[in-house]
Amino acid sequence: MISLIQAPSDTPLRIAGISGGHGARRRLLALGFHKSDIIELDSRSILRGPVLIKNLTSDTSVALGRGIAQKILVEIIDERK
Amino acid sequence: MTKENKFPDIVFIGQPNCGKSTLFNAIAGLRAQTSNFPGTTVKHTHSKVNVVGKVLNIIDLPGTYSLNPSDPAEKVVLTHLFLEKPDLIVNVVDASILGRSLELTLELIELEYPVVVALNMIDLAEKKGVEIDPKKLENFLGIPVIPTVASHGRGIKELLDVSLQSLEKGLSVSHIKWSRDVEDKIEEMEDHLPEDFPIVGNKRFTAINMISSSKLFFDKILKDTNPSLKVNLDRVRRELEAMHNAPAYEVIAAERHHLAFKIFEESSHIKRGKRISMLDRVDDIIMHPFLGYLILLAVFLGFFFVIFNIGSPLEELLLGPLDSFRNFLSLKLGAGVVFYLVDGLLQGIGGGVAIVLPYFIPLLFLMSFLEDVGYLARVGFLMDTFMHRIGLHGKSVSPFILGFGCNVPAIVSTRILESRRDRIITSLLIPFIPCSARTTIILALVAFYLGPFWALGFYLFNILLLAVLGRVITLFFKTPSPGLILEIPSLKMPSLKNMMRKTYFQLKSFLKFAWPILIAGSVVLGLLQYFNFDKFINLVLSPLVEKGLGLPQELGVTLVFGFLRKELSLIMMLQALGVSYQDLMTIISREQLIVFTVFISFFIPCLSTVAILWKEVGKRVAFLSMGLNTSVAVVISLLVRLILAK
Repeated sequence: MISLIQAPSDTPLRIAGISGGHGARRRLLALGFHKSDIIELDSRSILRGPVLIKNLTSDTSVALGRGIAQKILVEIIDERK
Repeated sequence: MTKENKFPDIVFIGQPNCGKSTLFNAIAGLRAQTSNFPGTTVKHTHSKVNVVGKVLNIIDLPGTYSLNPSDPAEKVVLTHLFLEKPDLIVNVVDASILGRSLELTLELIELEYPVVVALNMIDLAEKKGVEIDPKKLENFLGIPVIPTVASHGRGIKELLDVSLQSLEKGLSVSHIKWSRDVEDKIEEMEDHLPEDFPIVGNKRFTAINMISSSKLFFDKILKDTNPSLKVNLDRVRRELEAMHNAPAYEVIAAERHHLAFKIFEESSHIKRGKRISMLDRVDDIIMHPFLGYLILLAVFLGFFFVIFNIGSPLEELLLGPLDSFRNFLSLKLGAGVVFYLVDGLLQGIGGGVAIVLPYFIPLLFLMSFLEDVGYLARVGFLMDTFMHRIGLHGKSVSPFILGFGCNVPAIVSTRILESRRDRIITSLLIPFIPCSARTTIILALVAFYLGPFWALGFYLFNILLLAVLGRVITLFFKTPSPGLILEIPSLKMPSLKNMMRKTYFQLKSFLKFAWPILIAGSVVLGLLQYFNFDKFINLVLSPLVEKGLGLPQELGVTLVFGFLRKELSLIMMLQALGVSYQDLMTIISREQLIVFTVFISFFIPCLSTVAILWKEVGKRVAFLSMGLNTSVAVVISLLVRLILAK
């Protein structure tokens, strides 16, 4: 399990958990980000800007500040399985 | 006649960006504002429509992701739902992201109010390779589902027919069961509810919301009013948490989530090998970490030059006849009170048409384009880093950009910000954004007389000033801004019809509210001039206007009127100086022109802005804003005067 910030870009990831305050967790839930959803990260950004996350499960995109992205724990989906 | 409140209430509820306002507009005519940014409808819009002889009171509520609100705009939805129990809910659902959208639908069904689903943007879903069977969906949900494409008016008649039928026959809605173990716990909670407990919707809905409510406010109240219920609530929560190894509200959210996706998967057919659409490729470029910023800059410059290049020839074209007519009048009428009255009237009417509209209309149209495409959210993403430097985050970008159109809706739209701190800072900064009125002044004065690059320089300076002020204001707020969580809606081909509708709608409100003020202001100035009363006001203000800013004394009175409408200062300026537009530069110098524009742009926000600040963020912020703007205006104008004098 790694933090979303450290995860590789453009690779399918599974949300393993969300730590952090209730406010941010509820907000993410409402936007359709749940545990075990499959997401993809696009972390290209200059000047340490926000990261872009595509939720492949619900087909939505969300921009997250780095502080919040750090609190999302993910695991890399092994494609060989 | 029946009383107003006897008409059936139909509320439109949907997640942000589901095309709810577009659908509402298509039904109501030209009343609600729409765009492709989460949270454009921040207050509700009422409208009465007549459908085959039956009057309906339809209400457009702000977009909300769930019935568990996290920002002030979403709270509006809840308050409305619970206080003014509607006769029917139209749940607008974005078919292209059906799985997530159904989570709100399920919540509405739990409420067991009559609901019909408008399965909107069904064309977009098909483009994405998702084929939804509305009949199957209907069976799963147990409520009517009508496919619509609001932007093309498809399915609206059917939606209205079904709504009317549901109103007449009544619609019984019952919740869909979750996992047994969770249902057991909810039932347990229901049983603990005392007889006199305020029930919202039904017992189950109330119990669910007690379990998943935010611990802060609700629990506190309960602890004081009914401690034994609180003990039971805590126990149920603990048991749910132990069973699923997650906080109780997440257990509830997960139940809904799984159910929503199950229904989505079973009622739709997803075609394999979904092709990457052209819009996706465009998206990759405009969100690109380097190209994205170049495009942003190009959009900004393009915006500016398009408006200028349309506006300025039009302005010249329209001013000619206006001036000849004025000369003709002064010959005919002499210098009596009639001339002053008629001239004031003419200046107000003509000024509105010839000076304001040539810039105003292209600006409105381009703004609606950016909104509808979905570019605003992307700017929010791109600008987040920079916003952090001034102590805010990317979500404030949308209110800022709306501010270029008009500060008033921009301040209202700060409701999408979750924290009050961000709302106050953003609301204090918005009045420094050159709205369409001030853009008109900048373009009609600075760009018209000194060239477009001066005006562009003015804009850049303005943005820099905004950044510096933001930095300074945030020094006074100890708590840091919460991080950015912003949905990026998919790019959409804007519909010309919708853009024109929106432009027309805003133009109409200009003609209805602002133009009469311009005309009345000009007439009043005409009268003041006739009675020589303007000289008195000018004399009082001369220490600031003449000594301080180095402007002609006659402009004092125009600054006072600028408080009503910013463009009024521009129109009255000519009137006060007694020159035609073409001859303006023979009376005042370049330096004076710039100082005047700077002062007008920054000093006291206009009356409507102050009023909305007062209403939205409070009296203190409104006064603070007036003080801040006026002092910044004085300081900057003095500085500009000093710099230019060299």
